[in-house]
Amino acid sequence: MLESMMKTKLFAWVDRRTGAEAIIKSQLTEYPAPKNLNWMWVFGAIAMTVLVLQIVTGIFLAMYYKPSAMETLGGFSVAFDSVERIMRDVNFGWLLRYTHAVGASMFFLVVYIHMGRGMYYGSYKEPRELIWIMGVVILLIMQGAAFFGYLLPWGQMSFWGATVITNLFGAIPVLGDLIGQLLMGGFSVGDPTLNRFFSLHYLFPLLLVAIVAGHIHALHTVHSNNPDGIDLDQSDPNNVVMFHPYVTMKDAFAVSLFMMLYMYIVFFNPQMGGYFIEVDNYVPANNLQTPAHIAPVWYLTPWYTILRSFEVKLVGIAAMGASLAILFVFPFLDRSKVRSARYRPMYRGMVILFFIDVIVLGYCGHTATTETLKVVGQIATFYYFAFFIGLLFLPKIEKTKPLPEGV
Amino acid sequence: MTEQTDHSRRNFLYVAAGGLGAVAGGAAAIPFLGSMLPAADTLAAATTEFDVSTVVEGQLVVIVWQGKPVFITNRSDEMLTRLDGHDDNLKDVNSEAIEAVQAEWMDTPEKRKTRSINPRYLVVVASCTHLGCIPLYKPSAGRAEWGDSVPSDWVGGWHCPCHGSFYDLSARVINGSPAPHNLHVMPYKFISDSVVLIG
Amino acid sequence: MKLNTILLSLATAGMMLTSNVALASGGGHVLKHANVDVTNQEQLLRGLTVFSDVCMGCHSAKYITYKGLMAYPELGISRELADELRGEKPMMSGMITDLSPADATESYGKIPPDLSLIVPGRRGGVDYVYSLLTGYAHDHNEKVPDGNYNTYFPGNSIAMPDPLGWLDHDAEDTAELEQQAEDVSAFLAFIGDPHQNERRAMGKYVLGFLLLLTIVLFLLKKEVWKDVH
Repeated sequence: MLESMMKTKLFAWVDRRTGAEAIIKSQLTEYPAPKNLNWMWVFGAIAMTVLVLQIVTGIFLAMYYKPSAMETLGGFSVAFDSVERIMRDVNFGWLLRYTHAVGASMFFLVVYIHMGRGMYYGSYKEPRELIWIMGVVILLIMQGAAFFGYLLPWGQMSFWGATVITNLFGAIPVLGDLIGQLLMGGFSVGDPTLNRFFSLHYLFPLLLVAIVAGHIHALHTVHSNNPDGIDLDQSDPNNVVMFHPYVTMKDAFAVSLFMMLYMYIVFFNPQMGGYFIEVDNYVPANNLQTPAHIAPVWYLTPWYTILRSFEVKLVGIAAMGASLAILFVFPFLDRSKVRSARYRPMYRGMVILFFIDVIVLGYCGHTATTETLKVVGQIATFYYFAFFIGLLFLPKIEKTKPLPEGV
Repeated sequence: MTEQTDHSRRNFLYVAAGGLGAVAGGAAAIPFLGSMLPAADTLAAATTEFDVSTVVEGQLVVIVWQGKPVFITNRSDEMLTRLDGHDDNLKDVNSEAIEAVQAEWMDTPEKRKTRSINPRYLVVVASCTHLGCIPLYKPSAGRAEWGDSVPSDWVGGWHCPCHGSFYDLSARVINGSPAPHNLHVMPYKFISDSVVLIG
Repeated sequence: MKLNTILLSLATAGMMLTSNVALASGGGHVLKHANVDVTNQEQLLRGLTVFSDVCMGCHSAKYITYKGLMAYPELGISRELADELRGEKPMMSGMITDLSPADATESYGKIPPDLSLIVPGRRGGVDYVYSLLTGYAHDHNEKVPDGNYNTYFPGNSIAMPDPLGWLDHDAEDTAELEQQAEDVSAFLAFIGDPHQNERRAMGKYVLGFLLLLTIVLFLLKKEVWKDVH
């Protein structure tokens, strides 16, 4: 279809003025992709799909959503009422909202796997450091967008989640109060907070699109990594396949399979037992009563555990900041010349343990603290940092396996 | 020859995938566009109930239906007599010009004159058919109450302040007005002796 | 072991770890199972009757208008019944109790919560509501007065007095009271997410279609990749 479209006069007219044909060929249809990419390489395309769905559903939801904390009958608010109106009265409103709310969780799930793949196969290493760094920026913006978005329904978890996080920033020395007021537009989370969070929630995905474009541009400049983590001659047809139809069809299948899981959750289990939409968020925000059990949504819980693992509040905040900041320098901590964990026995063990570690951190952050869990969380926090620090010394002791010549 | 069959199989799969993809895209558009149509509560508010017995004889009440103003007048017997005798002066005596000014129940000359189900109660859309202003209610005949804002042979009715259209007490437009048609009637019915359901 | 399998097993382990099924939010008691069916018109209508006769004495369901109630095909309510239920209230009014917030505060010490979202808004959902309605008991420690002691309420001391008369009911009434509690739980589960039946019905078609699309794309992918060696 694309080929026949590119033969038309109209396309030729556009092409003379934009060089569209060269762009399409080099970036899409004839872009070379390593032949040996496995199924772990489909999560980028899936993440793009979810991002588009989130933006589109968000635009339509914004046609009905009203960011106002003004109280209405029965202790509800204008914002909460508008969400319920979407759920009850707007045609297909329930579908749009569930797709959007579940989509947030799915986005993180996919991006976490995408990052895990990059870590396992060494996709963050030279010459792809900047791709990784842009990816971390994407993650941070996603976390911001998710945090802002979570306030919008103005339920109990919205309100208390925002209160806890803004207080976190408030604990920063010297500037804390200023930052808190800057975020909240007042002295506690209230109507001005809701308004600015809505504005930022709409802005952040646009930033995301821009950075994703940079992420992909950088990738297409240095080309994809591969499961063996070896450098490939991109012009040798023994190494690569054309992006279209090989990768496009593979991605299309993967996206379709993913959509089945996504839509299954949307249509049959949208709350996901309180993990995707929390039970307490069906209760309107009440600034005089904190819910009995308060925890962030699952995708933020690993960082929440790191925060809670330290007795001194400020240290906890610093540790949480460091746990995200360390991701930026990750490509420079690991000096090994070999990329893929397939040929790095020690790194392989470490990184698999790291994946387990993050899940343990997530579990500890979601569950109400007990003495045991607290210790478990502290050990997991220790390993989180130990993993990165250990990488500094790894090349000295690790015996890597010989790399294959080609694919 | 396998090469041959392979190709037809591949083409078939391409067409099938493309077709299903198009269906998926089309189906996905339904909830998005559907969500932009009036929501259930907006539709529910598309009908309005009103108790006409609350309108004092000779008086006018303006209510809101689908966000638009609606006139409800309680016409006295004397006012009803003033519907006769000026047919020559009306653009559309029998409300036949367009769909919006007539209704199914206007099946007798009498009903075409009173333009109402119950002769006493006139229920019409309160937007001047010229450019949508709300006409002023000037029910008494002659210039005694209204000065020279109304013609000397004024039979009582409405006067649109924007561009000077005149309507009689059945909201039929009077010759010389810029308005092209009588005030529109909307679907309504009596659900009890005195309650009308508009819409 | 390939990364695929590792990730898969990690994901499974993660799910098992985190799926600590929403335990009873109550005083550690496992909730009773409520036998409800939100597609059962008779049960929903019986539940509606209990709701309007008993619950609405104090509680509202502001997101459910009388007009909206008529619009749900699951209920199939006639205009006459809607008129009977609403009394003097307009059709577009929510199901609002006649008890004023001030009177409620005076009698019960707090304003009874709106019940539109009580099922999705409580851990344990419909089972919790059912257990609560049939959970009134005598306090062994005799600290909480009869009618305010509930086995399933967090902290056991509930402001809502035994609405169905569960405490000290005659043995022969047990089945009927349980039925009432289940019916009203079903109704509350329904209004908590009134498009749920439509959603599940539509979901079957969506998933069926996606399955077909996935199969075709899988075959196409295999076909295309045939010539890569």
